[in-house]
Amino acid sequence: MGAYLARRLAASVMTAALASMVIFLLVRSVPGDVVGQMLGQTSDPVAARALREFFGLDQPVWRQYLGWIARAVSFDFGVSWARGQPVAAMIGAALGVTLELALATLAVATLVGVPLGVVAAIHEGRAIDRAVQGFNLLGLAAPVFWIGLMLLVGVSGVFGWSPPLVYAPLSRSVGENLSMMALPVFSLALLQAAAYSQFVRQSVVSALGQDYVRTAVAKGVPTRVVFFKHVLRNVAIPLLTFMGLILIQILGGAVIIESLFSLPGLGRLLLSSIEARDYPVLQAGLLVVVTLAMLVNLLVDLLYHVIDPRVRLR
Amino acid sequence: MSDASVSPPPSGPIARMIRREPDLAIGLLLLALIALVIVAPGLFTSQSPLSVNVDAAMEPPSFAHPFGSDDVGRDVLARVVHGARVTLSICATALVAAAAIGGTLGLVAGFVGGRLDMTFGRLVDVVLSFPPIIFGVMITGVLGPSTFNLIVALTVVYAPLFFRVARSGAMAEAGLTYVEAARSIGLSEATIMLRHVTRNVLPLLLVQCMVLFPLVLQIQAALGFLGLGVQPPTPDWGAILQQGKDYILLAPWISAFPGLAILVTALALMLVGRGLQRRLDRR
Repeated sequence: MGAYLARRLAASVMTAALASMVIFLLVRSVPGDVVGQMLGQTSDPVAARALREFFGLDQPVWRQYLGWIARAVSFDFGVSWARGQPVAAMIGAALGVTLELALATLAVATLVGVPLGVVAAIHEGRAIDRAVQGFNLLGLAAPVFWIGLMLLVGVSGVFGWSPPLVYAPLSRSVGENLSMMALPVFSLALLQAAAYSQFVRQSVVSALGQDYVRTAVAKGVPTRVVFFKHVLRNVAIPLLTFMGLILIQILGGAVIIESLFSLPGLGRLLLSSIEARDYPVLQAGLLVVVTLAMLVNLLVDLLYHVIDPRVRLR
Repeated sequence: MSDASVSPPPSGPIARMIRREPDLAIGLLLLALIALVIVAPGLFTSQSPLSVNVDAAMEPPSFAHPFGSDDVGRDVLARVVHGARVTLSICATALVAAAAIGGTLGLVAGFVGGRLDMTFGRLVDVVLSFPPIIFGVMITGVLGPSTFNLIVALTVVYAPLFFRVARSGAMAEAGLTYVEAARSIGLSEATIMLRHVTRNVLPLLLVQCMVLFPLVLQIQAALGFLGLGVQPPTPDWGAILQQGKDYILLAPWISAFPGLAILVTALALMLVGRGLQRRLDRR
């Protein structure tokens, strides 16, 4: 276990390091830099050179990279070039919003999608199964931002209600926070619930056809026990992997949904920092996203072992 | 097939497909309709997708404007109909490019193996460690929003998936007896790879194209919606949605119909992709 963990961590760190180089190079190849953005039309060469020096843009790229990554590993991401605030604090605040959105979406999607899939599988081939499959197809085909827009139209048309325009953190007002989060969460969760339900349906249907289930039924184990002990237990492992996948997808989807509902999350921060050529924020934000995705994958692999000790970690 | 004796079902391959795989049949029918919209948009609308008429701005759906009109009075139906070609040709181009680049590299990596395989594998891991939409945002943001850059971004995001499919396909083929046999009669590695292995990996890539198409469409539309894709006034489904976003409560039809177009297209592609995947699995 220890050796596995070490090897797995080393591989993740390696990928993260490569990803950080990709991020750095990509960000640096954004046409036009912050200096051009700041000076605008009045391109005074002396001021431009002074500013470039100030931001370290006159250094060779590899030196800029080494300096950045050395500080980044101790969570020092520098100061935002556009807003003058410490990047770590900006990312932290935005990450809180995105994580709340992601975890709430994961919870709603799991609570809706998993039961739907189980019900469909139990009634395989019948009307209820077909209805669930129809829902799955529609949920997977509909664009997330379109669902968001239509929900907005729907609730304002039916209830005359629209979400508040300014975000309130959970710590300030729970009610306001939740009313701001409700529509984004539901628009993201619909797609993921459909994905879940489809996946769970397939897993349960194939588990129901296994020999060990037939054996259990044949020797007279009560149906409920068969279902919970034999079927669901074996569905749990693939479901866990899928959950990790979904969480990573939600992180991606959050970019779009945040910009639609003006939530001050990581996605919106990334978009605005691209526009402002705010390299420190952009680099740090991307690094955080990649690291998060990697941590989720690592966690899933480790949980495997907890759920099913037969899974040998190699 | 117990009721076959009650009423003899219509014969012929098409009738049989409709009976056995109704979802595939529906998907193909929808795709045919979409293809018709792409080839002959004039059949579905006589109006121009670009002609502005401020006097008729934001009119709800009516006989003159079946899908309503947008904020500068352009006909939404015309924009959605003409947008089909713009949107879907971008997705298709990116898919073909991704399949060609990712597929070729994967084929070589899987067949040759060794250090080459390791290097490519690492690179693919890095690209796949980003959520696809974020990588897409990053590339279009860096290169600047344009149709060409959008295609580049989608290609880079999806090439790794084709790489994996082609790689595992080529690895499986490389261990088969026919490769051994080809080697023993003195064919060169390049010939075996190009002539024999490629032929067996190609169907995998084609099915993957169909399976990934709806996903590419979603990402393409999302980037358009974020303003990072096709630029106005060119009609593109994601871009129309982006323009309609600001008027969503005043004129929801501007956004509703291009979104529906994406939904229907993705649905059709998913149905067909699944049908093909089933057939491939059965082989």
